[in-house]
Amino acid sequence: MALCFSVKHLFPISKCYVKNIILNNVCKYTSKNVPTTNHALDNMTDWETLSKKKKISKAMKAYLERAKEHDEFMKKQEFEYKIGKRHLANMMGEDPETFTQKDVDRAIEYLFPSGIYDPAARPLMKPPEEVFPARKAAEFDEAGRPHHFLFYTGKPNFFKLLHDGAEHIQQAYNFEDKVIRKKAVPDPNGELNIDNSIWLTKEQLEQVLVESITDLEYDNFKLLMERLISLPYAYRHKEFIEKYRKPLVTQRFALEIPKPSYDDEGRAFVTTYECLRKKARGDVTIRVPGTGKITINGKDLTYFEDVQPREQVMFPLFFTNMQDRVDVECNIEGGGPSGQSGAIRWGIAWGLRSFVDKDMLEKMQVAGLLTRDHRRRERKKPGQPGARKKPTWKRR
Amino acid sequence: MLCRNIKNRYINYAVTVFRYNSTASQVILETLPERDDAVEKKKSPLDYPDYFKVHDLFTVKDLFDARVHFGHKEGSLNDYMRPYLYGSRLGHLIFDLDITAEHLRKALNVTAHIAYRGGIICFFNRNALNAHLVENTAKECGEYAHTRFWRGGIFTNANHQFGAVTRLPDLCIFLNTQNNILNQHTAVRDSAKMLIPTIGIVDSNCNPNLITYPIPGNDDTPSAIQLYCELFKQAIKRGKEERMRFLQENDN
Repeated sequence: MALCFSVKHLFPISKCYVKNIILNNVCKYTSKNVPTTNHALDNMTDWETLSKKKKISKAMKAYLERAKEHDEFMKKQEFEYKIGKRHLANMMGEDPETFTQKDVDRAIEYLFPSGIYDPAARPLMKPPEEVFPARKAAEFDEAGRPHHFLFYTGKPNFFKLLHDGAEHIQQAYNFEDKVIRKKAVPDPNGELNIDNSIWLTKEQLEQVLVESITDLEYDNFKLLMERLISLPYAYRHKEFIEKYRKPLVTQRFALEIPKPSYDDEGRAFVTTYECLRKKARGDVTIRVPGTGKITINGKDLTYFEDVQPREQVMFPLFFTNMQDRVDVECNIEGGGPSGQSGAIRWGIAWGLRSFVDKDMLEKMQVAGLLTRDHRRRERKKPGQPGARKKPTWKRR
Repeated sequence: MLCRNIKNRYINYAVTVFRYNSTASQVILETLPERDDAVEKKKSPLDYPDYFKVHDLFTVKDLFDARVHFGHKEGSLNDYMRPYLYGSRLGHLIFDLDITAEHLRKALNVTAHIAYRGGIICFFNRNALNAHLVENTAKECGEYAHTRFWRGGIFTNANHQFGAVTRLPDLCIFLNTQNNILNQHTAVRDSAKMLIPTIGIVDSNCNPNLITYPIPGNDDTPSAIQLYCELFKQAIKRGKEERMRFLQENDN
């Protein structure tokens, strides 16, 4: 009974999802995310709305029709989403009233297990506002007059940016002239610090502007901004400049380095779980102070018969010059010697972070010790002997 | 033969057409009907020769000071610009500012009328030197500007370009009609195709044929462009003020 119930109610969800994909393409032209028209330029007075008998232009009529259609569509999607959520809650045996989006995601993951690599391709159930981005609001009023003074350029936001940039450059020039005329000295404190940030990339700029721009236009944008920041009084336009720069964050050690714990003997230790490489997985514990004793699945370094995996295991210790100061214990399973030694190497390096200074951390990063190797075995392809290997070519 | 024809036409033109000069505003005031007259109150603005009094906006002296009279060199003359010339000085063509003033006043009048009727006015200019000024002008008078590369089909394929039914401008004002020294702005041709009236500052090397209201004059010098922008801004402002007044009166 329970199974029947669930199968029956799986249907609305999958239907909803499939529908979403199809309609997503249909509605692409509305996918520009622009807030409502409230911020329209104030000086664009709507002359038509003053008269009592409002004339609605053809453009506005068409827009209103589309808007109505879209609203109805969204209402329907919202309704279906709510029903789907209740069904999911019932299936998971939880209270539908307190079922949150987080629970929905969990339920979908449980009910529709998917091994698809790309997360975007996995089944999902999200509120319709997230699946269908907000639609571009009307760009003109009832009389059909566009709100933006550069509307007819086709890329009003981008060209407004260029216009503003030119405005700022002009202001900077004028200010410089004024300073020279007054024979004043430039403000020593005013300085534009742009070392730790870069210009938005083309894609990011497109996202900010909600418009697609060409490479040439992006170059023009950069040219303009470079000229602006090259001026001596550019710091007065810091706010404008920084809107189009993004900080260069050091992502390297963004992950917190764990504080070592202490065992019964008072030795500091750090355990790294999930050391993966190829098919091997295991955990590595590093104890400080130690004597350089290495234990792999209860054996010493001779666990590996060949020299190369032994070298692999020892490499981070030699690199940081800690080979006599720490003890290493590993449990490793799966894979072969190469994978296992690679997993241990990464685990040791990862655990050593807690016991080395910042310079060494930097060096380890550069040496690639802290980089996870995500490569997996490539599958064999039908019609050829291996993943890439092809049969010997013969004319016939 | 051709030369003589042009010359004759020019002379006829000059004789028959009333020519405004710097003192012309007084004469016009006389010809203007009284607007406050109760009998004529029902008349529409179109019944007046110059309802918005755009003739007061400038004098020929203003044009001269803004260097509107400077044309290009003799060799680049477009034959259609011949009737607007005064002569040539040191190899440079000089416009007859009386003719320019007359054309400019006509254009300003049209602009004011279109603004009065709630039309969309779009400013064009492909000269990078003056682009910012033109965009500012458009912004200040609540109208539109296009001073960038003209993607083909903005007018002729508008519904596709903007993804929806779009209202096109009701008047295009070209502060220069050339893309570069060789090619005409495509929007001139496209406006003509879409029956959008155009006002254009035509220099001595431009072709005025496709422009509805050509204004012979210098289209490069910033001071001249500044003057044109100011004049068009004033004309639009007058038209809009009048429109506001009209709408408020009719609402009550």
